[in-house]
Amino acid sequence: MRFFSRCYTYLQERRGWLVLLLLVLLLVSFWNLTRVDIEDNISSMLPDGDSRVARDFQLLQQAPFARKVVIHLRADNEEQAVLLNSATEELHERLPEPWFVNPISGPSRVNPQRLMSDLLEVLPLLFDAGDLEQLERRLDDEGISAALAENLSELLQPQGLFVKERISRDPLSLYLVALDKLQHLNPLPDVRIEGDHFSSSDGLSRLILADTPVAITDAAGAEQLLAAFEQARRVLPPDISAALISGHAYTLANADVIKTDMQVLLLVSGGGLLLLFVLMIGRLRAVPVLLLPFFSMITALLVVSLFADQVSGITIGFGAVVLGITIDFALHVYFALARRSLDRSEMLRLVARPVLFGGLTTLAAFSVLALSDLPGQRQLGLFAGAGIVAAVLLALLVLPHFIPRAAAVPGARLNGKRALMVRFPRLRYVVILLWIVLCGTSLVYLPQLSLSGELRQLGYLPDQLQQAEAELGRVWGDVRGRAMIFIGDNDMDRLLRQNEQVWQALGDRHLQEEAVSLAPLLMSERTSRERIARWQEFWQHHQPPTTERLRDIGAGYGFSARAFTPFADGLDRIPPPIDLRMLNEWGMGGLVDTLFQEHEDGYRMITLLPDRPEEITWLLQDGVLPEEATLVSQSLFADQLAQEIAADFYRFMGLAGVVVVVLLGVLFRRVTDVLLALLPALTGLLVLLGGMALLGLELNLFNLIASLLIIGLGVDYGIFMVCHGHSKEDLSSVRAVLVSGLSTLIGFGALTLAQHPALFSIGLTLLLGISAAMPTAILVIPALRRQLS
Amino acid sequence: MTGFTGIKRIFLFLLAGLFLAATPLAADDSELDIILAQLKAAAAQVQTLQSSFVQEKNLEMFDHRLISTGAMIYAEPDQLRWELLSPVASGFALRGEQGVRWSAVSGQVQRFSIGSDPLMGVVAQQLLAWARVDLEWLEQGYGMEVIDNEPIVLRLTPLDTAEAELVNYIQVTFAPLQGHVSDVLVMEQSGDSTRLRFEDVRINDRVAAGAFVPPEY
Repeated sequence: MRFFSRCYTYLQERRGWLVLLLLVLLLVSFWNLTRVDIEDNISSMLPDGDSRVARDFQLLQQAPFARKVVIHLRADNEEQAVLLNSATEELHERLPEPWFVNPISGPSRVNPQRLMSDLLEVLPLLFDAGDLEQLERRLDDEGISAALAENLSELLQPQGLFVKERISRDPLSLYLVALDKLQHLNPLPDVRIEGDHFSSSDGLSRLILADTPVAITDAAGAEQLLAAFEQARRVLPPDISAALISGHAYTLANADVIKTDMQVLLLVSGGGLLLLFVLMIGRLRAVPVLLLPFFSMITALLVVSLFADQVSGITIGFGAVVLGITIDFALHVYFALARRSLDRSEMLRLVARPVLFGGLTTLAAFSVLALSDLPGQRQLGLFAGAGIVAAVLLALLVLPHFIPRAAAVPGARLNGKRALMVRFPRLRYVVILLWIVLCGTSLVYLPQLSLSGELRQLGYLPDQLQQAEAELGRVWGDVRGRAMIFIGDNDMDRLLRQNEQVWQALGDRHLQEEAVSLAPLLMSERTSRERIARWQEFWQHHQPPTTERLRDIGAGYGFSARAFTPFADGLDRIPPPIDLRMLNEWGMGGLVDTLFQEHEDGYRMITLLPDRPEEITWLLQDGVLPEEATLVSQSLFADQLAQEIAADFYRFMGLAGVVVVVLLGVLFRRVTDVLLALLPALTGLLVLLGGMALLGLELNLFNLIASLLIIGLGVDYGIFMVCHGHSKEDLSSVRAVLVSGLSTLIGFGALTLAQHPALFSIGLTLLLGISAAMPTAILVIPALRRQLS
Repeated sequence: MTGFTGIKRIFLFLLAGLFLAATPLAADDSELDIILAQLKAAAAQVQTLQSSFVQEKNLEMFDHRLISTGAMIYAEPDQLRWELLSPVASGFALRGEQGVRWSAVSGQVQRFSIGSDPLMGVVAQQLLAWARVDLEWLEQGYGMEVIDNEPIVLRLTPLDTAEAELVNYIQVTFAPLQGHVSDVLVMEQSGDSTRLRFEDVRINDRVAAGAFVPPEY
């Protein structure tokens, strides 16, 4: 550590160079700020790479409606419902480009007679073995008589003019089976059509779906999108409401609440920190201490921008918070040097050791973030690492030259390591007992701690938006929360076979009724051949008696002998294949597009199904789904992410722990000292985890990062207090730890006032952890140390 | 235009004819414009309208003529009941945009709305639209000519090609003395035809309570 004291001596007469260095750093940083591209969205905090979570997250983005803007119109009552269609049309007309692209409020227009004619043509393909079994039971005298009576009734009604052809071609109403298959394309479970518009089953709601070029994570774009919607919404009558449901609304709400939070937090924490410094330091000459985190941060930003094309706004924001702790290094140097009677270079030599190792351990704790699956966390690791290195160097090489000598450090009585424990010998027993009780209580609650991978819980969820989404689900069924099975292949027929296997698996679990799939309509060549052969075989047996019954029983209703000749003639006709073109002609293009995607590598098909844990668990068993299928569900994803968080937590803690222990071993070379130095960090973590369990909170991604802060700060406190115990000189470590701990508590504790869950979560984590780590460092280490010695 | 709009126009004209019955026609009122003007004037005076009818269908699918009987009731502004009573009881009733239909064969009563049912809804909605006398719309859909003056017979020919593929013409005959519609004939291109003979037409009589309530099965 003599290096730093020599540097101090060397630079003592060359302060001008240091000022120049700082100015250059400042200028370069400002220049850098003008060119750095700051990413104003949260995508960097979502997983990338090849992990399952990353892959599933990408696939979740392909879900129908995931990228759509959904507008839900609702009438207050049935009287107002008559205005819904016209209101929907007016709003549809007024949704402006470029914010809203291709808005649709109903299905494509279809020629019903053309559709019916085509469906009758392809009946042999649409009837599976089960359908034929059911049909067989309707081919007796009773079944045919009932069908013909219904036909007669229809023909006598005003609409009879238009159903004549269908009845002559299909007297047994086989078309109903075809319509049932078409239903499997419908992703809106409870939809009806009212005047060409999507209508809810209670008739009080309409739906408009639109694309938008605005990325869901783009807060500025989201603001403009929502402003455009607000403007368009003014056209609606007073009793008809319209809510826009999409990720954009959440993005904007989060951005707004973070802005508000920041204003409050800056006021509270800034005021609190100022008060603390006035009370505990009370000198203007301490201003350089306050500037150190600022210089650390601009250096960190400079380093990160050298390695990344884009710097995440979250990295900068959270990184700034992380680098706030670098003030601790400055405080230790300040308190050690700001004394009149001591040799400064010697004091710097003494304090350099704990500051350097404190910096190294904090650096180690944050460097593990480089292993994260989240690009934002990796960038944060780099940002924090660069900032910490800069802070340590600035604290030991630059800061000492800007700390004037003081007459005396105010409040020197707080340097009470020797005095307090000597003056009150029994205090150590009280301290140790309280510490044991605190750790014991935390240990009791620790097993109850659970992990949350629910990404939505990390964001701010305004009540109004949650209610709007809940209302959407209540009225239209679970539109946005379904599980999905993806299959992909570059060969269309192979893809269709896999899709059929998926459909079969769903059938085995009786899930077909609730599923949305192309499988009932689009089939492989093999299945087409099988169905045609089965149909022909069926009618070879049943056509003669059925034709005879239709003739005989039909005569009783007045039907002529030739009435159903078109039906009999069509039974052995080879149907045309059902393909995407045909589905488009039937007006199903929009629905098909949600379930079938063509891309560079081939094709992809999606099956939607209810996201129920028991069904998902069953489908995930080996052999249930084809190997090529990928099942993705929101609930499963949350579980996987929770597992990833847990794995990351253990991995990060383990790695950080090993590196920190090694560094402490190098520093102290005594097991007891290493253990004592670790005590604040371990106690802080234990109380953090136990406290969260006690408060019924779940561990999330942000707690994980905050836990690293606890390790970094806690080990720093431990190092300083253990070094303090070894030193013959008074390094004012108790005071420095107390001020730094209190500043951390004020700075981060203020985060508990935040409305945003992530900020609140970080604040609470640190409040719990530091509240335990700081007293452990100041009181428990001296108490135990004396006990051990 | 789809085939569905064809039937709605047929019924519009049918109902228009019935409204016309409210105002007896003069013997020399043969000019189309005068007749249409009278239709509008007559409709303005109608609050309720009730009638029974006999329907005769000559369809290729059947060996003999299908004869059925029924009744219709209209009450302003937007209520309608159209029902067959024999040989198969079936029909629909409409209140505003919401309706219900029934069939004794299936034993089912189903709710529908004019927006959700591609056929029933549109037919019923347009029937009611006619009750508000939208002659401009009717004239846009059909070419009209006076076939005879004694009794007055009008022939309507669909202008829409899709409808014209199904319907050849519609012929409406007015009773010579009473001045109301007595007969409507719908001739299809296939040769099939439907004739409706209206009897016991009552204008502005009190409509029974529950007239627009469906039967229970």
